[in-house]
Amino acid sequence: MPSPLAFEKRESPLRGGQIRAFAVGVVVALLLGSILLLVSGHDPIEVYTKMFDSAFGSRRGISTTLTRAVPLGLAGLAVAVAGSMGLWNIGAEGQIIAGAIGAAWIARLGPDLPGPLLITLMLVGAVVGGGFLALGPALAKSRLGVNEIITTLMLNEVAIRVVRYLVNGPWKDPEGNNFPIAPELPEQSALPALFERANIGLVIAAFVLLAFGVYTARSAWGYELRIAGSSESAATYAGISLKAKVFTVLLLSGAIAGLAGGIELTGSSDRLVEGVANGWGYAGIIVAALALMRPSGVAAVAIAFGAVQVGGLSIQTLGVPAAIASILQALILFGALSAAVFTNYRLVRRSTRSAAAAVAS
Amino acid sequence: MSEQPAAVDLVDIWKRFPGVIANAGANLTVRPGTVHAVLGENGAGKTTLMNVLAGVYRPESGSVLIGGHEHAFANPAAAIDAGVVMVHQEFRLIPTFTVAENVALGQSPRILAKRSIEESVGELAERFGLATEPDKEVWQLSMGERQRVEILKALWRDAKVLILDEPTAVLTPDEATELGRIVAAMAADGRSIIFISHKLDEVTAFCDEATVLRGGSTVAASLPVQDIDAGRLAELMVGEATEVSIRRQRTTEIGPAVLSLEGLSVRDDRGVAVVNGVSLTVGAGEIVGIAGVAGNGQRPLADAVAGLQQLEAGAIALSGDDVTTAPPRTRSGAGLAYVPEDRLGVGLAPKLNVVENSILRSYRSLKKGPFIDQGAATAACEGLIDEYNVKVGKLDAPMAGLSGGNLQRLLVGRELADDPIVLIAAQPTRGLDVQGVAAIQEILVDQARSGTGILLISEDLDELLALSDRLLVMHEGSVVAEFDPDDVTRAEVGAAMAGAH
Amino acid sequence: MNETTVIGLLIAVLEFGTLLYLAALGETIAEKSGVLNLGVEGMMAMGGVAAFWAGVETGNPWVALLVGVIAGALFSAIHGVVAVVMGADQVVSGLALTIGGLGLAAFLGQDLVVQAPGARFEATNLGPLNDVPWIGEIVFDQTAVSWIALALGVIAWFVLTRTRVGLILRAVGESASAADSSGTSVVKTRMIAVMIGGALAGMSGAYLTLALAPGWSEGTTAGRGWIAVALVIFGAWQPGRVGLGALLFGGLLALEPRLQTFGVEVSPILLSMLPYLLTVGVLVVLSIRSRHRPSAAPAAIGQAYRREDR
Repeated sequence: MPSPLAFEKRESPLRGGQIRAFAVGVVVALLLGSILLLVSGHDPIEVYTKMFDSAFGSRRGISTTLTRAVPLGLAGLAVAVAGSMGLWNIGAEGQIIAGAIGAAWIARLGPDLPGPLLITLMLVGAVVGGGFLALGPALAKSRLGVNEIITTLMLNEVAIRVVRYLVNGPWKDPEGNNFPIAPELPEQSALPALFERANIGLVIAAFVLLAFGVYTARSAWGYELRIAGSSESAATYAGISLKAKVFTVLLLSGAIAGLAGGIELTGSSDRLVEGVANGWGYAGIIVAALALMRPSGVAAVAIAFGAVQVGGLSIQTLGVPAAIASILQALILFGALSAAVFTNYRLVRRSTRSAAAAVAS
Repeated sequence: MSEQPAAVDLVDIWKRFPGVIANAGANLTVRPGTVHAVLGENGAGKTTLMNVLAGVYRPESGSVLIGGHEHAFANPAAAIDAGVVMVHQEFRLIPTFTVAENVALGQSPRILAKRSIEESVGELAERFGLATEPDKEVWQLSMGERQRVEILKALWRDAKVLILDEPTAVLTPDEATELGRIVAAMAADGRSIIFISHKLDEVTAFCDEATVLRGGSTVAASLPVQDIDAGRLAELMVGEATEVSIRRQRTTEIGPAVLSLEGLSVRDDRGVAVVNGVSLTVGAGEIVGIAGVAGNGQRPLADAVAGLQQLEAGAIALSGDDVTTAPPRTRSGAGLAYVPEDRLGVGLAPKLNVVENSILRSYRSLKKGPFIDQGAATAACEGLIDEYNVKVGKLDAPMAGLSGGNLQRLLVGRELADDPIVLIAAQPTRGLDVQGVAAIQEILVDQARSGTGILLISEDLDELLALSDRLLVMHEGSVVAEFDPDDVTRAEVGAAMAGAH
Repeated sequence: MNETTVIGLLIAVLEFGTLLYLAALGETIAEKSGVLNLGVEGMMAMGGVAAFWAGVETGNPWVALLVGVIAGALFSAIHGVVAVVMGADQVVSGLALTIGGLGLAAFLGQDLVVQAPGARFEATNLGPLNDVPWIGEIVFDQTAVSWIALALGVIAWFVLTRTRVGLILRAVGESASAADSSGTSVVKTRMIAVMIGGALAGMSGAYLTLALAPGWSEGTTAGRGWIAVALVIFGAWQPGRVGLGALLFGGLLALEPRLQTFGVEVSPILLSMLPYLLTVGVLVVLSIRSRHRPSAAPAAIGQAYRREDR
């Protein structure tokens, strides 16, 4: 039997629809999450309070949340830059790893360089590393039209294995008690602290986000990007070279994700390990999607997701698995995606006659 | 003799879409075994009404009677079950499926025996004189062959009512004649065919009766085509007192050639030659019209001149400078402007806002360092809106929200803003309302007066006759005739369009 | 290297082949209907944890397998509702299904990590057949699930290429508007295909926790869901070719821990990159080939469908 309800396109998109959708997503996630918590014998209010408290309740909490938001925000930006042109970079996870490898490599080459120089070179190495992993998909997409979703996705798994190979083999720490870890990084390679747990990486990420936000909104380059994202034919018509755009945008996207890996390595860890990307690349895709591929939105959503992750870790003391963070993130997305449909559509009752009067009058 | 119930009876159909009322009390009655024309200008509501009949859209009100029984189709499947099948203007075929698979989709045995289905499809095709190869994949077929597959699909479902939506738009004249035979064979078999068109010669040739729609309502129902002349039908379609809106004084002094094409040839992505050795020149201040049945190479010709389509052979010169291999950007910099046929897909970026769309041609000159001067961009946009009388809501609202006429005014205005040397205008007034048509035509005439050479491609013969200094006719990718618009009849041009020499 | 190690390897090839094939076959069906579901990894985890739990509770591997299948199907319905019914982006929704599925499986399975398996599939006992050298020792030393996978593959091939249902499913994946205008419900067809995909991913996860490596731990799916996604492309969306690919990729997985036994001085980790690199290679070749003819990929993949859009 056909459904009595149907989607009907709105005359114009609902104003502020996306913010509402995000709010709906959060509410849905909290509600469904509390059912899960109740069923497994936890008090949702207690859990959520503790999560919120640990994420925002103290200077230390805020600093941790913001630090978590850095890789999420940069990965989200990487995805958003490609997304604003209608391209999907699913490879941020791998590019974060490649960035961390690039940075670690620099540290191996010049362990005695002075701190500021070493850090700068490491971050450059990270950018190059991330861009390098995106090079293949960028070439394949721009030259041959090979679907970038699959190529970038596949290279994630390759990057995971490259870092696994390195920390199990050539880069394995001889004094690491046979753990699959690389040797400790030189001391001077650590990013200077900002406050509590936050480091300069936060400033770098904020600057990159802001710069890209302004640049894509205001520059001719960003304008061309939006044209290309809106209609390929219109871009060709306006004399914009699509191939070159696709190539540079995917490369740039990889480089930004690589930077996230470099900041993570120099800022939050003391050595290269297998789990350096920690799922941030995948979460970054969700962040970008929720932010509608806009840099300003990316920052906000990244902070929200950082808080969920920090909160998720904190409630382990209550016996709640940290996995609740992943569940909540996915639920926010499902809720928001579904709610976002109503920005452009409304649900109407299908009828044959009833609307006649309305039309005729 | 008892009166047979009508094959189709649509009574007082209303259907609205956001911002438009597509059908406002439309009626249609089709007798069994007849070919019935549904006539109307673009935007008259023909396609919407047919989509209502075929179950694609649900009307807000009104009744749909098939063979005397009332139906409220929930979806196309329900309409097909009632014997109503529509052949859409854009074919609904699956390129990677064979002809037989496409035909059998939706009604086939549970287990498919490839060979036997191909045989049945072949037999059915033969019965109605439809030439086809059932085992060929559809992507390898020509447009005419694809249309026959669509008709076969309908016959396979034993459709009692077939709706053909502008079926000849993509056909060569030979194929169109062939279609006429097929339609007659189907009617003789007791089926009813609804033939949607705005081409009067086809209606008089193929159809028994005609219903005319205007502005979403029926203005004349079931006129016997035999007893009525084409002029009267045209009047009904366009409404009262719409003489051709403009009569242009021909340019007496034609300037030097600003656009010359030498032996231009283009192949499409299937490798089929779509433009064959076209040579022409346009002088400064001259309007050169190109007439032709849709799909005879006009669009690839325009795209090739603008640099959007690769050339197989030939040369293009702008004011004497060779631009044959120049990218689109160089050509527009050299003074070439292009109003493409597909406004919202090619000429404009639907999701971007009005300001962003206004500067598509000029943004490179609005740069301040790497940034676009927002003030200048907004000023440029407001200038266009003022000068060309574009009605917009907010400047930062998406372009797609504008009505067809306003979209086109902005697009044409944008292309003319820096006084181009050459303008290619492809179907510039198609789908616009009367006022919109007049406004665009006036703009074109003014622009020619100020010295721009215009290549005007149109399917509207009256428009071409009224505006052009010279009229060329394209057929199967070649220019087959040239006329002086003051000294030619519609019939003569029509014959050339059909390929007669 | 002796006969035993070779036989051991070949047994493992078929085991990993089964694991990958079930999930990849499901994804093939979903993608054939035009829905990309990047949630395979999450659906496998859900099927795996549910099946393992049911095994502990009931002690019956068949009941456990069924529970895994149902869990996978129900979980995939989230993607169906969000991406097919609501028409949201398939890429993002699928990824969220993986993230959420891995999280939910870890959450639900936290107490199962220490549990001993309550039920497991043993190799089928075909009497003397099991003793046939090589064939018996390898092919017949598999659990019933492998035979089910093989049967499902043949059924899927037959249904997709030789039946009305398959024709409709493929039509929906090639051109939703064409299928719709011939009277097919696009949403219903896609929803069913997605849930079949989820059911098979669930079965794959159940096979993992009940037969291949009985037990449950977080991260036990170890990226095999992504290999399944790769396999669909590698096998050009054809159940038969996907099956061959499953044997090849399964072979690589089986070889990984055994490389050293065979005296190969290459890191097994490098070997494990091959499936992904091969898939990228195949994708490039397919793209070059499809320049002058339609691509092997379902044309409507990734596109939501709404009839009254205009």
